[in-house]
Amino acid sequence: MSEDASDPCFSDDEERALSAVLDEIIPPSSDGRLPGAGELGLAHYIEQTQRRNPDLTPMIKQGLAAIDDLACSRSPQGFSALSKQDRLEVLNDLRSTQPGFFPSLIFHTYVGYYQNTRVVEALGLEPRPPFPKGYEMEANDLTLLDGVRQRPKLYRA
Amino acid sequence: MPEEPVDVLIVGAGASGAAMAWSLADTRMKILCLEQGDWMDPASYPSASEDWELRRFGDFGLSPNHRGRREDYPVNDSESPIAVSNFNAVGGSTILYAAHFPRFHPADFKVKTLDGVADDWPLDYERLEPYYAQNDRMMGVSGLAGDPAYPPKQMPLPPVPLGKLGHTLARGFNKLGWHWWPSDSAIATQTYEGRAPCINLGPCIMGCAQGAKASTDVTYWPAALRAGVELRTRSRVREITVDENGMADGVIYYDANGEERKQKAEVVVLACNGIGTPRLLLNSRSKLFPDGLANRSGLVGKNLMFHPYAMVTGVFDEPLEGYKGPTGCCIMSHEFYETDPTRGFVRGYSFEILRGMAPVATALWGMSSGRVPWGAEHHRAYADLFDRTAGMVVICEDLPESHNRVTLDPDLVDSDGIPAPKVSYRLSENSTKMLEHCVARAEEVLEASGAKSTAAEAPLRPAGWHLMGTARMGGDSRTSVVNEWGRSHDVPNLFIIDGSIFVTAAAVNPTCTIQALALYIADTIKKNLANLFD
Repeated sequence: MSEDASDPCFSDDEERALSAVLDEIIPPSSDGRLPGAGELGLAHYIEQTQRRNPDLTPMIKQGLAAIDDLACSRSPQGFSALSKQDRLEVLNDLRSTQPGFFPSLIFHTYVGYYQNTRVVEALGLEPRPPFPKGYEMEANDLTLLDGVRQRPKLYRA
Repeated sequence: MPEEPVDVLIVGAGASGAAMAWSLADTRMKILCLEQGDWMDPASYPSASEDWELRRFGDFGLSPNHRGRREDYPVNDSESPIAVSNFNAVGGSTILYAAHFPRFHPADFKVKTLDGVADDWPLDYERLEPYYAQNDRMMGVSGLAGDPAYPPKQMPLPPVPLGKLGHTLARGFNKLGWHWWPSDSAIATQTYEGRAPCINLGPCIMGCAQGAKASTDVTYWPAALRAGVELRTRSRVREITVDENGMADGVIYYDANGEERKQKAEVVVLACNGIGTPRLLLNSRSKLFPDGLANRSGLVGKNLMFHPYAMVTGVFDEPLEGYKGPTGCCIMSHEFYETDPTRGFVRGYSFEILRGMAPVATALWGMSSGRVPWGAEHHRAYADLFDRTAGMVVICEDLPESHNRVTLDPDLVDSDGIPAPKVSYRLSENSTKMLEHCVARAEEVLEASGAKSTAAEAPLRPAGWHLMGTARMGGDSRTSVVNEWGRSHDVPNLFIIDGSIFVTAAAVNPTCTIQALALYIADTIKKNLANLFD
């Protein structure tokens, strides 16, 4: 049976654990202005990324399984039930046991997070692509060149 | 079945092929250009989509190996610290270039005479100057007259905006008493010849959705097509064929369906740049040319020059609005351009001030440089970087060395089965010393501008934009591939007009010199039509 594009890549448990991991990678800001990456729903972004790049699937599946194993050794309820301290210890263990997975997860988390509308707005930018509106820029102050203009020629003839 | 013969067949529709096609059009000869890529749709460029930053890792990435487009060909660059970055389409690599457009200096054409290294060019700045000026008008170049780093020249359009970032860096250069000048840029800063003016989108290196950047699909090609030139896209040339007299008589190419076709021509012009041109010549073997066409000197593919790049980034306390403005065009400095023997190396380098980073790029640079960790410190560290970075690249002059070369890879092929090029390249001691010097000077000027910290990468691996020297020009058929007007020493009706004919590399972006050379060669062809093959 072929896989349906609308089928979820992650089980509910995997998605819950992934969201909790994402909230550790980028937690909410202390002033509440910026959401955590899990809270922002980036698990769905990671899922879409995996769908666009099927080569990533084995690494992500393996990485999530490793998180589950490490977490379950501390609590049978899995990663999302762990204390803050335990979560960090699991992720630090993961960095050494899954050296390909964790940097890749951070990469895709950063990419998804910083092109998200809520985040871009919170950074003080308009959440839009550059085109077609573009950007206004200040006028050039070419008096700054006064000293350079006084210099003798710099080239050899 | 062979197509109808043409007078002039140009291979490649990029910077030089477009200029040549336009210039030759007034001869009323039958001119055909074969291009392996297709027309680009500016509406599809990343800057028009929400995920524009992500696309530099995908379909608008720098490396043809990573993009994986059918129109591109792979390059084995595993034996080089610098990776090739080119693009195949109508417009060629001008689709992705930053449009930084400085000319060579007069001294760049006589490095042997002045500095005792490499070779002099068989022509000089004065000979090329009218063609530089003609090209500036055709491309719509912006800048400011009066730069003491150059002989007098006029700029058709006013300079790009320096922005808060450019003004900040300019003050740093002034503090040190170093040269700087608004960048010469192939970007229309005002409405120009039907092109809309730049609106400071930012990511010029992923195509210009506004059409303000002078890629040749929006400059030369519309004019050339109006004048009667035929441009056949998705047509990938496999080899140049020769007759029994050793004259080029056409090409064999694959059309969009992968069907093999033949095209006869009286004159063949190669415009595939420093990797594609030697690849095609080396793949054109015959009884008369067993080592590749036009290669009796043995120099086809040799003397490959990149520009070793350094990338130096400064982090400032204040916002710089660096996400606005043409990413590769702001200000330039030629303070260290000319040879100074006290520096421990010959020749020199130029600074090209870039803009800052948009949100995703900030995060990823922060991640790779260890400045933006995951976890509790993430937001504080990110806030210290976002809109507070200024980038600059340093373009070092490379010198020709015969061991730096392009050959045909024995295994790798493109989507039509044509052998792919392999690049073998190593940095010279001169380049290594120059990189060390330029990084220190770049850090110095960033600090003078107010940077609280800096980070450098040298050589910058993805920076193989400038591809030169692999079919060099010269007066002696034993030491060069083409003569002083691009005609093959071995095959009198074969011309080469791209960066492969450069004798030396200078320390600036090569596109305007490539195009000035193409216009000069076209003009010389026109003046010699009656006895072109003598």
